[in-house]
Amino acid sequence: MPGESEALVEFDNVDKTFDGETLVVKNLNMEVGQGEFLTMLGPSGSGKTTTLLMLAGFESITHGDILLGGRSLKNVPPYRRDIGMVFQNYALFPHMTVEENLAFPLEARKMPRDQIKEKIDRALAMVRLSEFSRRRPAQLSGGQQQRVAVARALVYEPALVLMDEPLGALDRQLRENMQYELKHIHETVGVTVVYVTHDQGEALTMSNRIAVFNEGEVQQIATPQVLYEEPENAFVAQFIGENNRLMGTVRSLNGKECQVEIDGGGEVAALAVNVAGVGERTTLSLRPESVKIDPPADGYPDRFDARVEELIYLGDHTRVRVNVCLHDDFIIKVPRSGDAPRLEVGETHTVGWNPADCRALDA
Amino acid sequence: MAVAPYATPVEKAWYYTFRVICGLIFFFLIMPILVIIPLGFNPVPFFTYPMEGFSWRWYGEIFGDSPISILWQRSMVNSVVVAICATLLATILGTLAALGLTRADFPGKPAVMAILISPIMVPIVVIAVGMFYFYAQVGLVSTLSGIILAHTTLGVPFVVITVSATLQGFDHNLVRAGAILGANPVRVFRKVTLPIITPGVVSGSLFAFAASWDEIVVVLFLASTEQHTVPRRMWSGIRELLSPTIIAAATMLIIISILLMFTMEWLRRRSERMRGLTPS
Amino acid sequence: MAAVSPNAGGPIMLDGVPLKIRLERAERMRKVKAVGLILPLFIFLMVTFAIPIVVMLMRSVENPEIVQVLPRSAAAMRLWDGEGFPPNEAMQTFAAEVVTAKAAKTLGKAAKRLNYNASGFRSMLFKTGTKLERAIEKEGEEAVLQGPEMLERFIDIDKRWGERRYWSIIRQASPPHTAWYLLRSVDRDYDENTDIVPISEDQAIHVEVLWRTIVISAVVTLLCLLLGFPIAYLLGTLPTKQSNLLILLLLLPFWTSLLVRTTAWLVLLQNEGVINDIAIYFGLWDEPLQLVRNRMGTYIAMVHILLPFMVLPMFSVMKGIDPYHMKAAASLGANPVSAFIKVYLPQTLPGVGAGVLLVFILSLGYYITPALVGGPADQMLSYFIAFHVNTTVNWGLAAALSALLLVCVMIFFAMYQRLVGVGNIRMN
Ligand SMILES: Nc1ncnc2c1ncn2[C@@H]1O[C@H](COP(=O)(O)OP(=O)(O)OP(=O)(O)O)[C@@H](O)[C@H]1O
Ligand SMILES: [Mg+2]
Repeated sequence: MPGESEALVEFDNVDKTFDGETLVVKNLNMEVGQGEFLTMLGPSGSGKTTTLLMLAGFESITHGDILLGGRSLKNVPPYRRDIGMVFQNYALFPHMTVEENLAFPLEARKMPRDQIKEKIDRALAMVRLSEFSRRRPAQLSGGQQQRVAVARALVYEPALVLMDEPLGALDRQLRENMQYELKHIHETVGVTVVYVTHDQGEALTMSNRIAVFNEGEVQQIATPQVLYEEPENAFVAQFIGENNRLMGTVRSLNGKECQVEIDGGGEVAALAVNVAGVGERTTLSLRPESVKIDPPADGYPDRFDARVEELIYLGDHTRVRVNVCLHDDFIIKVPRSGDAPRLEVGETHTVGWNPADCRALDA
Repeated sequence: MAVAPYATPVEKAWYYTFRVICGLIFFFLIMPILVIIPLGFNPVPFFTYPMEGFSWRWYGEIFGDSPISILWQRSMVNSVVVAICATLLATILGTLAALGLTRADFPGKPAVMAILISPIMVPIVVIAVGMFYFYAQVGLVSTLSGIILAHTTLGVPFVVITVSATLQGFDHNLVRAGAILGANPVRVFRKVTLPIITPGVVSGSLFAFAASWDEIVVVLFLASTEQHTVPRRMWSGIRELLSPTIIAAATMLIIISILLMFTMEWLRRRSERMRGLTPS
Repeated sequence: MAAVSPNAGGPIMLDGVPLKIRLERAERMRKVKAVGLILPLFIFLMVTFAIPIVVMLMRSVENPEIVQVLPRSAAAMRLWDGEGFPPNEAMQTFAAEVVTAKAAKTLGKAAKRLNYNASGFRSMLFKTGTKLERAIEKEGEEAVLQGPEMLERFIDIDKRWGERRYWSIIRQASPPHTAWYLLRSVDRDYDENTDIVPISEDQAIHVEVLWRTIVISAVVTLLCLLLGFPIAYLLGTLPTKQSNLLILLLLLPFWTSLLVRTTAWLVLLQNEGVINDIAIYFGLWDEPLQLVRNRMGTYIAMVHILLPFMVLPMFSVMKGIDPYHMKAAASLGANPVSAFIKVYLPQTLPGVGAGVLLVFILSLGYYITPALVGGPADQMLSYFIAFHVNTTVNWGLAAALSALLLVCVMIFFAMYQRLVGVGNIRMN
């Protein structure tokens, strides 16, 4: 989606420190496109909330600038930013009814009464809570409160809505329902969303693009598919989806291709994505589903012996843990089908993969 | 708690015995207060049942225009003036302090908190004697201002405790939510912060009011006849000759206590409902 | 453009100032603001509460009377080593100052102070003054006040001057500060050699009163615990709807004025009161029983007043105890009694501790209730403090007793604070 429309939000070399010693956000450069659903994903403490709070105006920007619609936000207080926000604990006003909660931003904008009424009705209809308008937050279930929070963030039609783990407090089932609902709302309303989560499934389901954070730095920003299929570094490969890692040393480098000597012995061809040079260390990343057991001869130049350690039957596929090149945590996913090999624990089989699926990344 | 269907006869017997014991303890708690109220309507100055009739005679002694009545009425005015002034002062000072206490940590905060709370813990006679000794030197003895200052002191810890508790439970994300929804800080304070902490402030001030309204020991030391409050008048009465007029005055105090109590309970339950502690 | 040097080993700088220092400044501002909010109340309490009490407590070690009224004698007496009798010059100074003080009508203050130590000192001093005045008229100032044998003259005036004790008392009353009041508050005294000795048994009263204060408080606390535990348990285990109703029965006495409740008990318990009437009517006893103005009345009224303070903290703890623990214990085969003792009781201890300490601390300072429903033998320390302020006007002793009471309360308050934490005191 970037490129389709111009950026609504731009982070320009943003740094943030709380204590003057460590940077919790380091040199952040990121653009959020108009109408985009961008998710910030990363482990706990990686600076996602901090980034969001700077965007909302609740934390100062130590260095750099954030632009919203081309305007610097540096001296704009939160209440003039015209941003919507859904908080993790929803932050619904407990002394107001649902209706009054929704009216709050409209009244602050001095909107006429009848228009307020109309907008509230529309927003409540959107989240399917029309009959709850006179209840107080404490009289609603968690999921209902969450929907009120979403409605409140959208009712005044801000250009940008921020959500910090808005589904964190919900149980699994409700969470998944709400993911689709939020995605649906985003598609119908067309609002730009910056979303924070540390649940990768959620990120993959909902986002146009995902920014992967680690230790205050953005590791990669890309669509879910690119992120999964073409991770640019070992952290992203490891963090998104399941991943097999093989450590090794680059022996030769030829444009996009390279030869890597694996620590446990053997040399393989790999796609040179992020290697420092010949003789340097590298991490090979292989998705479990790209590895074939007893592969056909052609197209699989690199073959290894693998001893089956463990079999877990999961219905649509079987997870096979094998020992390859002294790595005994190597996982292979075998889809359920008629021609799937029959495996027994303790047997030794040949495994192989397409060199294009084997990405040589940073060590 | 209910008797389980599988309870043995011993357990059942104990269950009912326990209930009866609790009933007796509640009876002990409530009985003295309820028993004396009718005695204020006894036409004769005795404290015995059965009563000999019904009369407003003793209330007349308070609200009439005899010299004694004038004293009673003056003491009521004093009580009201002192309690209201002390409550206002205590509420303002206590609320500000509670805001400060919850806003930031600073060295010595527990010690400061202990000092702010100590008026409830220091024996009242020690407080009264200290105030008497010191206020005498600055001319505050036998003045209403002296009593107001003293009662403010006694009421302030209640305000500090209740308001701090309310503020600790206050979710600061609500302020952020208010801001991001487009309300400026003044509007956020008026529409969000204030309505949420008000029940706490009101509870604190009700406690402060009750503390002043019932207070007798400090008044005993600081007040001369001019500044007598209702409890102080009652005290004189009890010491001289226990007459049903005292019961009439006591009944009025009880009614005020009941009003305070119900207001307080109402506030408490309202805020619990708001926080979703007791879904209805 | 301001440059941030991202963590290259050194501190992060912004516009040439280490960021850390800027952030510390901002943090300090926040603290200053917080302190600024607390300051008005803090100053208020200092002025209206803390300083008055401290100033009053200081009276327990202050000893200003002799220094003010007889300053030169005080100095001379302090020089005397306490052996035998004071030197002749000191007695001369004393005689001269007694005469001048009597003329200036300030002698009474000194006399009152000395009278605390030995009754009869006041009249002896005034008599001495008068006789010295008369002697001066007759013999001339020099002959009387510069006499070589002052002691003889004093003994002539009143033969008690021949006892060393009286001179020691003057000497002990001469320094500007004294521990004497504090000693008296624990029934100790200086003897004529300024050694600390117990005072004679017929005068000793304060230790007994202190003990009585503690005993009454302990008994009241125990009774409150016995009565409070069952109803706290009932309230804690009932469904909220029902317990809310019963709590009102507990809160009504809590909110009712202490004086009103004490009055109620006075009315109920007195000889012509409701309880005696009913008991005689039903033939429980024949003669009115003395139920009030004695220890019994004191206990009944104090327990009634303090019971809510015991129940409320216990209730709030018990309400938080998971009832399934008891069920789990039962399912593991524990009989109800041992399940209660082993599983439930230990969990209630924080509430029990808080309630016990609170009630005990509050009872230590009780004054109104014992004064109205107790007899002379049931008065607690507070009563004697008030007594020394109002009746004997002995501020030193009142202050010393206040200090004693305060120390007792502080000890238990410190325990309470460790158990509950000041910030956690709740009233609902
Ligand atoms: N107010 C603050 N003062 C000091 N340090 C802070 C503050 N807020 C956050 N931090 C620190 O900044 C870092 C980033 O925190 P942040 O809350 O942005 O993480 P996050 O990515 O949102 O994590 P999570 O997934 O757990 O919510 C953490 O190391 C945290 O300890
Ligand atoms: Mg976060």
